[in-house]
Amino acid sequence: RSGGERAGAAKVKPSRLTALQEQLIWALLESGLSRDILVQAIGELERDRVSAGAERGERGDGESSEEGEMDFPPPIFRELEKLLPEEAAKLRAEVDQLLQEDPWHVAKIVKSYMQQHNLPQREVVESTGLNQSHLSQHLNKGTPMKNTKRASLYTWYVKKQGEISQQFTNAKHGLGSAEEQGEETRKGRRNRFKWGPASLQILFHAYERQKNPSKEEREGLVEDCNRAECHQRGVSSSQLAGLGSNLVTEVRVYNWFANRRKEEAFRHKLALDTPYTSQSASSSHPNLPPSPEHGVKYSHQIMCDTVSSARGSIGDRVGHLVVSPIQLEPSHTLLETHNSKLVSSGGPLPPVSTLTSLHSLSASPASSQGLIMASLPSVMSLGESSLLIGLASTQPQTVPVINNVGGSFTTLQPISFQQQLHGSPQQPISHHFQSYMGASPFMATMAQLPCHMYNKLDSPQYHTSSLLSQAMVITDSSSLGTLTSLTAVKQILTADPEEQTDSPLQEDSLHLQPHTPVPASESLEMYPTSQTTESHQSHLLSPSQTDISSYIPTQMVSTAQ
Amino acid sequence: MAGKIQSLTEEERNHLLPLLRNAQWVEVVGRDAIYKEFIFKDFNQAFGFMSRVALQAEKMDHHPEWFNVYNKVQITLSTHDCGGLSQRDITLATFIDQASLM
Repeated sequence: RSGGERAGAAKVKPSRLTALQEQLIWALLESGLSRDILVQAIGELERDRVSAGAERGERGDGESSEEGEMDFPPPIFRELEKLLPEEAAKLRAEVDQLLQEDPWHVAKIVKSYMQQHNLPQREVVESTGLNQSHLSQHLNKGTPMKNTKRASLYTWYVKKQGEISQQFTNAKHGLGSAEEQGEETRKGRRNRFKWGPASLQILFHAYERQKNPSKEEREGLVEDCNRAECHQRGVSSSQLAGLGSNLVTEVRVYNWFANRRKEEAFRHKLALDTPYTSQSASSSHPNLPPSPEHGVKYSHQIMCDTVSSARGSIGDRVGHLVVSPIQLEPSHTLLETHNSKLVSSGGPLPPVSTLTSLHSLSASPASSQGLIMASLPSVMSLGESSLLIGLASTQPQTVPVINNVGGSFTTLQPISFQQQLHGSPQQPISHHFQSYMGASPFMATMAQLPCHMYNKLDSPQYHTSSLLSQAMVITDSSSLGTLTSLTAVKQILTADPEEQTDSPLQEDSLHLQPHTPVPASESLEMYPTSQTTESHQSHLLSPSQTDISSYIPTQMVSTAQ
Repeated sequence: MAGKIQSLTEEERNHLLPLLRNAQWVEVVGRDAIYKEFIFKDFNQAFGFMSRVALQAEKMDHHPEWFNVYNKVQITLSTHDCGGLSQRDITLATFIDQASLM
């Protein structure tokens, strides 16, 4: 009975207070402390105590919520103890409820919440001790997770909801305590800023209008983006504190534009490196000599040669074939339409975040004229939502891309496109670029394709030696029926294009009957376009496939001519 | 701290000390101070009392000399700055009495 228990102990009494605790509480209350101030003060004091403890080197067992160590009980539960018993009990009750539900259902809820607030998985991993890969798989694919681990996840989730809603409410009263609730006191550093899809849409639209906005314009964009992000999170605009580390600032907008400009310059530069030959006389596009590999350094050892040929352009739509050994950075998507005034103004450095920039299919300037270059392996890997149509071969083979745009028979290099050509911008997962991309006529054409090849491109996939020479076929729906041979492109190209329906096919080429809208191929698989964008997964092929034939686009189209 | 605290005047002593004596405060021999002993039901009560007094003392910036063993609390009040009793001691004594009744 002597001395031991004092108010402010880290231990939480589940039910009654001891007599002394009661005494002390009463003493505090009688001393003029109001209940609310007392409650608040307890929270603050406990936080201070914890961080003070950490500084004294108690890190091993102290701030375990930051440690990412999985000890029993999971670190996140220690945070519970810091809360008031009343609130801790409420939290536990909510967590228990979630544990009763279907895990996959809850996973979807948690995942969409994270997307809505642009929360990095890293934060979850650090405060729950869960394995990141496991967490990702559980949230994205429903990979099973044991109940104890789910409990830590849900605990983090419930807590985070509280934190964020508090951040938003505090925003109303000015920042004040929001600071403490942020990650500052926990980690000493905030989460890394991440652009949300809504903001990116706004930025890309602005970029289209003007690549170099003035400070006023940037500030306008800051407001627009923050407003959009608040809406996405279901809060009224200007409760900015709730955005936390994902608050858009003028500096961030400035950097974004700078990076996009650099990216574009880099694309120009790479485009120049790409050898290009064209048989088309009608094209105003200059012929670039095929060139050996340039000294551009890529992390892939993937080369593709493309056979270039072009039909005479009919009408105003001409595509060109490009032949070149190309090695491109895997994370950089090169897809550009160059006019004859191709200018390389690229700086020496590659763009900062090629991963995030969905290159512009800037085919808008020219109605599909010009050089369309694409890097095979380098489809933009935009996390899970990248739509890649790419082919790669490990040998320097001809990898023709047969493009039947506008009825003319052309071959293009493999192209990577962003996904969701049809998707609605409102989808949380939807690619920010999609509306941006939709501007180009070429893309518009693409958008009509009933069938796409989707590939979640990770570089390793392209190393597979099972890649054969393939052709990507891109057509528009108006010219269905073309029979094209993938591997026999060379033959086709050299032959009169009009004979292509009869051109001999090699075994692994796609064999189509004329006028058959849907090819039946032994070597190809059809992947019906998944129009839904509820989950990025529906767009993606299994990334683990190494059989390249599954990556072969399936749409074969006859030349209209 | 505001200026030097004043010791109780003769007049004030004559007025106040009888009241304190009634409340079982006694004058300490050999110094200008008052003393009282409180006994509680148990330690918890005693320490609760002490907590209340402590909070008040802090508020007043005037602290008692005290001793505690289990349920017993012995308190001596005096003002160091003036070397004897001051108004603060009287005020605190009054508060202490109230607190001991809670």
